[in-house]
Amino acid sequence: MGRWLELSNEILFVYYLASNLIYLALLITAVWRNTWHRRRLAGLRLERLQVSPFTPPITLIVPAHNEEAFIVDSVRALSELYYPDLEIVVVNDGSRDNTLSRLKSAFQLRAARLLYLPQIATAQVRESYRSTIDPRLLVLDKEPAGSKADAINAGINVASSPYICVVDADSILEKESLLRIMAGVFSDSQSVVAAGGIVRVLNGCELSKGELHKVGLPRHSIEILQIIEYLRAFLIGREAWAYFNALPIISGAFGIFSTDLVREVNGFRPHAIGEDFDLVVRMHRRLHEQQKEYHIAFVPDPTCWTEVPSDLRSLARQRARWHKGLIDTLWPNRDMLCRRRYGRVGWVLLYMWVFEFMAPLVELIGYSTIILAAVLGMLSRQFFVLFLIFGYAFATLISIGSVLLEEMTYRRYSDWREVGRLLFFCLFEHFPYRQMTMLWRLQGIWQYLRGDLAWGEIKRMQTSTGAMQKQNATRSFTEQ
Amino acid sequence: MDFASRLPTEFGLVGLIVEAILFSVAGIVTLIAFIAVRRWYRGRHFQRLSERTFALRSQWNDILSGTVPAASWRLKPLDCEIVESILLDRLELAALPEELPPLLNCLRNSGLLDMRIRQARAERGWKRRAALVTLGRTRAPEAVPALAEALRAEDEETRIAAVRGLGQTELAAAAIPVIENLLWGSRPIPDHIIKNALLNCCHNSPGILLRYLKESTGRARVLLARVLGELATPELGEDLILLATDSDAEVRASAARAMGNSLPAFALPVLSAMVTDSEWFVRLRAVVALGSINHSGRIRPLLRALCDANRHVRLRAAWVLAQLGSNLDDIFNQVVETRDNYAVQAFISELERSGAIEDLIKALEKRDGQNQAHQILLETLHATRHNIAHGVKFLSASAGAH
Repeated sequence: MGRWLELSNEILFVYYLASNLIYLALLITAVWRNTWHRRRLAGLRLERLQVSPFTPPITLIVPAHNEEAFIVDSVRALSELYYPDLEIVVVNDGSRDNTLSRLKSAFQLRAARLLYLPQIATAQVRESYRSTIDPRLLVLDKEPAGSKADAINAGINVASSPYICVVDADSILEKESLLRIMAGVFSDSQSVVAAGGIVRVLNGCELSKGELHKVGLPRHSIEILQIIEYLRAFLIGREAWAYFNALPIISGAFGIFSTDLVREVNGFRPHAIGEDFDLVVRMHRRLHEQQKEYHIAFVPDPTCWTEVPSDLRSLARQRARWHKGLIDTLWPNRDMLCRRRYGRVGWVLLYMWVFEFMAPLVELIGYSTIILAAVLGMLSRQFFVLFLIFGYAFATLISIGSVLLEEMTYRRYSDWREVGRLLFFCLFEHFPYRQMTMLWRLQGIWQYLRGDLAWGEIKRMQTSTGAMQKQNATRSFTEQ
Repeated sequence: MDFASRLPTEFGLVGLIVEAILFSVAGIVTLIAFIAVRRWYRGRHFQRLSERTFALRSQWNDILSGTVPAASWRLKPLDCEIVESILLDRLELAALPEELPPLLNCLRNSGLLDMRIRQARAERGWKRRAALVTLGRTRAPEAVPALAEALRAEDEETRIAAVRGLGQTELAAAAIPVIENLLWGSRPIPDHIIKNALLNCCHNSPGILLRYLKESTGRARVLLARVLGELATPELGEDLILLATDSDAEVRASAARAMGNSLPAFALPVLSAMVTDSEWFVRLRAVVALGSINHSGRIRPLLRALCDANRHVRLRAAWVLAQLGSNLDDIFNQVVETRDNYAVQAFISELERSGAIEDLIKALEKRDGQNQAHQILLETLHATRHNIAHGVKFLSASAGAH
């Protein structure tokens, strides 16, 4: 027993130290990269990209399942994005509500004879429609297949542009976001096969006709804590991994991909739980196996605003599902770990195994053994308390670092009080919020082992002009 | 359990952890203080900026004419920044050539231009890059040599800033260093940035591109041809024929694009030949170009493209034919006469998509002396409104009867 506790505490100590030091290194890299990116933006003229004949077309793919509340405003907002050559493909994935009829009446859709070549196998496409008022809009009505990936794949099959951009129906893209993300792609001397932008939290913001009217912080603490998490994940994590050309994930809510490459890897895996993570890892794999030079980029200024769960139950389901998605991608790709053939990606996947997938297990075992050892008098209580304080203070430092990065770069929260609130909530991210997410992620592991791979349903808060209106609508797959 | 309990005493780990805690707490306090001070400083800076901008704007005409001496603002960093920013914005927005000289004179007489040229040559890192982009925005001819020098910089970001700067001058002279660097330089710059810069610089003199194109090979040749494809004018006519027969398919595709801007009588025979090119994307480009020239002879090559084996070429040809508007019934008859089911299907789909199918039906109904084939066509077209696939079968039969 004593030997086991000792070993456990040793592992926890090293694990915690390594995790924090890696994050510190990522923070330093991200501060440098974000500053670099901001300076680069000073010389960029987006209006020239907008009129350039060399700006390649993009197909926006919008999977929609029971999205009647949002779909019309959402498509309207997408059609007003600043980009010279857009194609918008909405895939109605067997909605049981009025998603399709609302689209039909709002955009005067008429049935179109479309040669649908299912290069990537999908559920059957029942009908295709073109808008008579906006020729760029194509709507596919397909049989439901129970997965967002299948709907996106149908969109990929009809996409006619060299790049596709997958956007959730309930997400809001800023007007210049496509130009900004493509500017990042063009400025890269390597061939960019995919690029991700930043995803921010929509809760608390004001919307008007599908467009962001005012950025604000939500009222609930659980939502603010997620804002800090998103800032840390995107501004620190993704920026740093992309710098090392080992970005393992591009958010499903907003990312662009080379259409040819996505088709080459057979699109999104239909029953993947974390289809975005899975796709990017398979793209890395394919390109490394072909020994091609490529870059998967992260561009921090194009922004997509998306809703996050506003109640604990929905958040718990989401986090459990994310963790299932993590295992669901890591396990089939375990042969990439630390292999020279896969370069840095193999090492980042090792990081994902050790510090993402195993984190809740290590934390659970660690907390239990430290408490047990302290209770049994086998551990210096002074050391125990100091170690916990150190862990908490260091992790809080990283969280505050992400708020600082936001301040130094994009400053979306302009009000003093909002920044003050963000800083205040940084104090709670590592206690008790982190412990709560640990339990939810453990739940995810358990569900995965039992074979429970359902997405679950999440209560949706519709953000609208001036107020938050709680709806009973549920979403099945249009979350991040 | 010895490990954790021994370390504090034997290795002084407690002391180390206390130090680490202090470091973390100090870090937290520093970051929060930094955020607060930065916010306060920025607030103050923007307030001063606003006040000084207002003051300088109120005497703007005097500053521009030199009545207010440059010495009064040039040596004050904030004032200098504001005046330069206003000047550059005006230079970019200047719609008429006569608006430029007073703005450029102000830049020159105040020494601002010389300062930026010096920075572009002597500074390093972001300061140099910022100077390069600013120099480009001045659109001053004397900025070109300094920008051209930066094309040889070791750092890629500096080279990118130099190309962007050269592009922003919109001067034909600025295109030459960009092209020469592309042809003979050893340090790479992303293609998209070069293309946009050349597009800006050569829009009044595409002949520069043609001159260099003749002596270029490989990637540079494709890139120059691509830019030329966007800028070609009817005057370049005969030179474009050479490109239309180039061994590189990308160059031929660009030539086809350029032909869209040539005189119709000249472009038509070339494009008609290109519609049968061995590469599908060259044929596609030729079809698009045929869509942009106004000549009755284009229908025949478009009909040939409508029967192309490649789906993209076929659909594009259908789109162009459906856009012609007049004589749709004649065109439709010619399409049916091709006896190519795919061609007929592509054309009808396009007519239906564009809403022109109703016009076609009316035109066919108005025809005098309808023969049996017309009757079949009409029935088929009525049917296509419900089921095109079914209609195509009828049409195949009608083509046979015709």
